[in-house]
This record gives sequence, structure tokens and C-alpha cells, in this order.
Amino acid sequence: MRRVSRLFFLLAFVWGSCPGQSAVTDATGREIRPPANVERVYAAGPPAGMLVFAIAPGKLTGWTRSMRPNEAAFFPEPYGQLPELGRLTGRGNTANVEVVLKAKTDLIVDVGSTGETHASLANQVQQQTRIPYALFDGRIESTPAALRALGRLMGDPAAAEKLAAWYENELKDLKQRVARASSHPLVYYGRSPSGLQSGGKGSINLEVLDFLGARNAAAAARPGLATVSLEQVILWDPEVILTTDPNFWKSVWTEPRWRSVKAVAAKRVYLSPHLPFGWFDFPPGANRLLGAWWAGKLLYPKEFDFDLRVKVTEFHRRFYHREPTKAQLDALLGEPGVLPQ
Amino acid sequence: MLDVQSLAFGFPGRTIGRDVSFSLGAGEVLCVLGPNGGGKTTLFRTILGLLTRHGGSITLEGSALASLSRAEIARRVGYVPQGHSAYFAYTVREFVLMGRTAHLGVFASPAKKDFAVADQALESLGIAHLADKPVTEISGGERQLALVARALAQEPKLLVLDEPTANLDFGNQVRVLQRIGALAGSGIAILFSSHDPDHAFLCARRALLLAEGRVLEIGAPREVIRADTLERMYGVSVKVIDLGGGAHTCLPTVGR
Amino acid sequence: MTRISYLAAGGMLLCLVAVAFAVGRYPVSLSELLSVLTGQPVAGSVETVVLQVRGPRILAALLVGAALAAAGTAYQGMFRNPLVSPDILGVSTGAALGAVLGIFLSQGILFIQVFAFIGGLAAVGLVYWIGSRLRGHDPLLALVLTGVVIGTLLGSVIALLKYLADPYNQLPAITYWLLGSLASISPKEILYSIPLLLAGLAPMLLLRWRMNLLALPDDEARALGVDVRRLRTLVVVCATLMTASAVAISGIIGWVGLLIPHAARLLVGPDFGRLLPLAMLLGAAFLLAVDTLCRTIATIEVPPGVLTALIGTPFFLWLFALARRRW
Repeated sequence: MRRVSRLFFLLAFVWGSCPGQSAVTDATGREIRPPANVERVYAAGPPAGMLVFAIAPGKLTGWTRSMRPNEAAFFPEPYGQLPELGRLTGRGNTANVEVVLKAKTDLIVDVGSTGETHASLANQVQQQTRIPYALFDGRIESTPAALRALGRLMGDPAAAEKLAAWYENELKDLKQRVARASSHPLVYYGRSPSGLQSGGKGSINLEVLDFLGARNAAAAARPGLATVSLEQVILWDPEVILTTDPNFWKSVWTEPRWRSVKAVAAKRVYLSPHLPFGWFDFPPGANRLLGAWWAGKLLYPKEFDFDLRVKVTEFHRRFYHREPTKAQLDALLGEPGVLPQ
Repeated sequence: MLDVQSLAFGFPGRTIGRDVSFSLGAGEVLCVLGPNGGGKTTLFRTILGLLTRHGGSITLEGSALASLSRAEIARRVGYVPQGHSAYFAYTVREFVLMGRTAHLGVFASPAKKDFAVADQALESLGIAHLADKPVTEISGGERQLALVARALAQEPKLLVLDEPTANLDFGNQVRVLQRIGALAGSGIAILFSSHDPDHAFLCARRALLLAEGRVLEIGAPREVIRADTLERMYGVSVKVIDLGGGAHTCLPTVGR
Repeated sequence: MTRISYLAAGGMLLCLVAVAFAVGRYPVSLSELLSVLTGQPVAGSVETVVLQVRGPRILAALLVGAALAAAGTAYQGMFRNPLVSPDILGVSTGAALGAVLGIFLSQGILFIQVFAFIGGLAAVGLVYWIGSRLRGHDPLLALVLTGVVIGTLLGSVIALLKYLADPYNQLPAITYWLLGSLASISPKEILYSIPLLLAGLAPMLLLRWRMNLLALPDDEARALGVDVRRLRTLVVVCATLMTASAVAISGIIGWVGLLIPHAARLLVGPDFGRLLPLAMLLGAAFLLAVDTLCRTIATIEVPPGVLTALIGTPFFLWLFALARRRW
């Protein structure tokens, strides 16, 4: 009897530790049981695509939106041309479920919001297609955990562990640098061509800023995006303005109305890079580590005294599996507004 | 004043009347009689230039109608359509003032003179007391008179009235016919249509009988309105009775 | 009644302008305000706030409010229908499509506004061209039906663009544009939209008495000496110019063009000679009041369309209950 039970436990242990067969609990508390071999993974949104590609690029079935040539140039040759499969996340689906099925998907992954709506959508698609649908938290600090869980699901725990450990380290390093900073500047994040759209306290759009301990000028507003008036921005008088809209960045220097804002007078208005994925706000994925380095350098130049190019190259190597060329880095970091002149 | 020669009229693609000829001078009253659907309204609309003629000619004070602009026509010819319900609560005075449009520049508003003409028109029709009432709140007969006043505000030489007594009670019918007579007396040429042959007897110098788009007869009422012409037009048997002193009336024979 | 209405509306407008200059998120004292307005130097950003931010915005609210009210008044008379708004021929939907396209193509503010303006004109042009080719129908009915159909078509193109837009960046920008806002009005916008707005308002004001004749059946108006077709085309051109310029700078703000003409008509009756100027005054005052609230009651901006409906509807019902006049 003892022999049988020992055999039983041994088998269970072996079976449980086989790669690709462990059940993983995703961020919504659902138990995900992937098939024995996961070869084809459908990423339901860009943040998920990024993580899947980083762990095992060959397993990604496609991007949610086909890459433009200037975006594809940052990825190794064949991967820039992966097919466009559409989004399957809560924010506006464009994916045809049949297409997902046709692509012989073994696993569907989504990274982002883990609320009730998204969880029920995941369940619905999973029931419809019988393909396991895993949902992970998209917050910056949750990225290492998401990487690890995803690695186990995909059957590439070692690769995922390397990435997760590195990411964790970088986050720790960032936190230490921020802790050393003596002053935390008041930052206004302006979106849209008018620059008058911003995020309130706790908005996902400003996660990078919150992580860096910067003070959000629009913190008085409720979470989420909202339009503010220029009068309000003048009242807040931010020291630094960050934006993701090149049209706004260009116009802020020519509009006399913005001149009375401290940030404009001090020429501290910066434009986030956006290739191949935006660095600062969207897509809200692991790519925002780049935004954290970038913004950190702008806000705390003394404490963030590393070479940005080195960091960026490392990130691209690990996550996009290709180091950017010198020319690409020059173009990325040399675009007007990205770095102080 | 008005000269119509061999006029063919109708709608685009469908001619419903031909060979209509008559002329009308200042102070003359011509009554057009005919059954429903006989083409009276279409004829009037063609004479007013609201419908394109299909043939023949229409001359107004010596000029071809087609050569005149809408404003020029409106300064000479006043149109009184069949009464309709009002959409908007314009006052009677504002309503009548609209008749002054042809005399105003494109960007102008009515001036004192225009108000005077409008008030005069109201006065002459005995409805001056209604000047400030909304047209939506007056009776059908009063509205008909307001329409006549509006046409008079145009200071026309020719007045075209389409069945001006339709939907009016007996008293109002008589009043309108009296006004027509008075207006003719002041030198305006009058062309009006009626469904009742007696009206021609009452105030017209001549009558034009229109049936199926053709002129049956035209001439003095007592000559053309006879039992046989009435029977041809309306399909009913009627007796025309001479009341003496130039008055006539029609009496239909209604079987017992 | 007319004189009282005008005086009251004018007085209210002046008060509102004064209040609008004085209030806002940025604290400006009355003495500072007076100093700025009389050209004296003031410390800090007060001058920028008053002259560069509040000033253009107040002017824009006045102009947009007047334009929308005038267009609505003209159309309600022309189409003889109390439920008609300036968008009946699709100008707002066309402008929205132009703006959404501009946002979709990641353009700057100027291009978005130019696209919006052109979109509005093009939509009405298309409706008018198609409507006037539908023979055998009452011309007004043909216009209205074509307007509804084309408006729906353009609306579905907008929906498609929203669907295809990047959900993180473009979609919020589109959503906010469609909600309407005067937050980003700068002196530049005022400068190039004023000529266009006036190009629409001025002829309409000059023609306002003649527009009364559009209330009559076509035959009667023509018999009274009016080239109905030409007058209608002119009214549509003016209303479209006004509304397209207004929507291009402010986005979609509803209810002003629908409710204000009614309020004005209840006060002075249907004669355009009196109605149009009063509607413009009331529209300007109303939108200024609403916009001032939009920018002061919270840290974030409230979309003006929401407030115009919330405030305008009960106010209008109250006015309707009080008045004795019929429409």
C-alpha cells in the first residue's frame, strides 16, 4: 500500500512538474490548464503580445495590429511581418474568434485590467473556443509575476524567469534612485493635440509617474482621462510637462498662452518616444519600463545618471530580441522633444 | 391689362387644358366657372407664372409674362389662394405686410409707408380691428379677408382670386363678393373662380365656362350661363331664372 | 413685449460677460481684472489667464451660441417644423466626420478644425445636391429626408473610424471631441473663425424680414415676389457656414439650436425681424452661462452638451408653461 501511494505521489510530482502541463492561477483567480505542448499563443492585446514575444518569440501567432515598417525594423526579420489578428480585450474587440481558432491557438493571453468585465469576457471566450484564456495584471510592478506565470503556462519557465528576475532588478534599482531624490517635481501629463487631456489621481495612464514618485498636477481629478482647461493648468503651474502627442509638443512653443506655465518657460516640455511601442502611457505594458527610465532621467537627472542608450539597448535585446542599431537609437532619442537639448 | 392667347396649360408631362383665350381690362371682373378638377386652379397658377405654360401666350400690361421677374409680376398681380390653415402665429398686420415684399429691396424691412399701405388694405376690407390678432386665432372667413388684404398690399393692377368664397358661411360669402365689386370699381382688374354660378351673376361683367380644360363659352353671364351650358358642365339639370332688373339666379331641380 | 425682451436679454448678456471674466479656476480678483482690462501691468499669469484664456473662450461661447441659435431659428422657420435643429441637413455630422478623420490621421488642432469645417460644408452640399435632384417630391421634404439619410450614413462612417482607431490614444481624443468643448479655444481660433461666422450671420440678419415668407406655401411666396428657391439656398448656405465654423472650433454642442429659437419665439412671436436678433442674444447668453459653469464647477471640464440639455430642458418647459402664445 505504501509503495502504491509513493508511486502515486511520485507520478503526481513528475506529472505536475512537467513543463507545459502545470495549471496556473491567473490574476482573476481562474485556474488555467494549458495543453501539454503550447506552441501557438494568441495575444489579445499589445501588452500581452509584448510578454509572449519576449518569452518565446516563435510562439506568438500574430500582432493585434500589423506593424508599420518603422516599427517592424526593431524586431528580427520574420517577426515584424507576423499577421494581424485583431484585439480581443475589453476595450473594443476587432478580432474574429474564428480567426483565432483558425490560427490553431493553444493558449490565449491578455495582460491589462483584471476587473469583472474582463474576467467574464475571458470566461466567455474560453467556453466558446475551448482554448484556455489567461488574464494577467498589467501594472508595472506586476510584470515580473505575470512573466513567471506566463512562462509556466507556455512551457518556457527558464526564459521567463530570466526576464522576470532582470525586470524585478531594474524596478528595484529605479525605486532606490527615486528614494534618493530630494525633490519630487510637479508634472503635468498632457495628451491629445490640444494638450488639455490629462489623467486624474490613480489613472493607469500615469502609472509611470506614480511609480517615479512624481506629483501629478492633475491629481485633484478623479481617476481616468478628463479634459482640463488651460486656466487650470496655469494655476497648477507644473515644473515639467510630458506629452505623447507630437502636434501638441510642436504647438506649445508657438502658443503665447502656454508661456506663463513654468515648464514651458524653463523649456521642460518633453515628448515620449513611441517606437516600436510607446514608452510612457500606452500601450500599458512592460514597455513602460523604458518610459520610467526616460521620465526618471528628465525628472531626477542627478539620481538617474545611467546611460539611457545602454538601458534601452538591453531592454530591446531582452524583450524585442534585437538590439537597435546606432542609427535607430539616434533617431529614437534624437527626435525633437525627447531629451533636453 | 391681361391678354391670354391660345393658352395650353397643365403639369410637367401632362397638358390638361388648351385653346384658352381671353383678355381682361382695368376694372373688369371675369368669373371662371367650372366643375372640380376642370382646371381652374391650374389655369390660374399658369397665368400667375407659377406653372410653365405648355403653349400660347400670356401678356401682362403689354409684356410677355415669361420675360418678367417674380418681383415684377408681384407688383402687378395679387394672388389670393384658397384659404389654408396657418402654421405660424403671425399677427394679421404682419401677415398683410408680407404683401409689400415686391416693393422692398432684398435686405429691407417694411417702413412706415409699407405699414400705411397694409393698414389701408385692412381698413378697406373692414378687418382693421383684427390687426394685432394672430392669424391662427381668427375665423376662416376673416382669414380669407386677410389673404385679400395681403394681395391688396401689393398694390396690384390685377387681382386673381381662387375660389375666394369656398368654406365661407353665407354672410361672409356675400361680404367677399361685395368687396370684389367695390375693388373693381376702384379700377383693379379682377379674375376669380367660383363653384357657384350665381356669383358670376352677382359681380362679374363676363363669365368664362371652363370644362375639361377647354373654354365652353365666354361672355356676359346672362348670355353664357344657361340651362344647357350648366348641364354640360356640371351634369345636373338647372333652371336659370330671370328676376328682373338684370338679376338672375340658378335653381337646380331636385326631384321629390 | 419686444422691447422688454431685448433689453432684458441684452442686460443679461452683459452681466454674464462680466461674471464670466471674473470667475474661473485661476483666482483673479476684481481689481486685477480691471487692471488687465484697462491695460495696466499685473503680476503673474493673470494677464494670460484673462486675455488669452478667458477672453477668447468667452467670445467663442458668444459667437457659437449666437450662430447655433440663429441657424436653428432659420431652419425651424424654413422647414415649418418645431423639431428641427441646425443639424437637420447633416452639417454637424459632416463636421464630426471631418474632425474624427483628422484625429484618426494624427493631425494637429488646425487641421482637425479645417477638416471639420470642410466636412460640414461637404455634407450639406451633398445633401442639397441630392435633395434637389429628387423630382416629384415636395422640395422641403426631399431635403429633410436626404439630410436624415446622409446624416445616418456619415454617422456610421464615424462609428467605423471609432472602431478602427487606436483605443489608447485616438479613441479618447475622438470621444472628447464629439462631446464638445470650448476648453482649447485660443485667440488664433477666434481670428480665423470670426470671418466665417460673420459671413454666415450677416447676410441672414440682413435677410431676416424676407425669411418670413418662407413660412408660406411656396406658391404664395412666389406670387408675392420671392424667388423661393434662391432664398432657401441662401439661408441654407448661411446657416451651414455658421454652424460648420461653430462646430469646427467647439465640437458638437446640442440643444442650443433646438431650444433657444423656441424660447425666443415664445417671447416675441414668429416674425423673423424681431425673432432672429433675440434668438442670437439668447443663444449667446445661454451658451456663455453654460460654458462658464462647465469650466468652474469642477477641476475637470464638464462637456457643454450635457449641461445644455440638463439646464435647457426644464427651463424651456417652464417658459412654455408660462407663455400664452401658440407656436
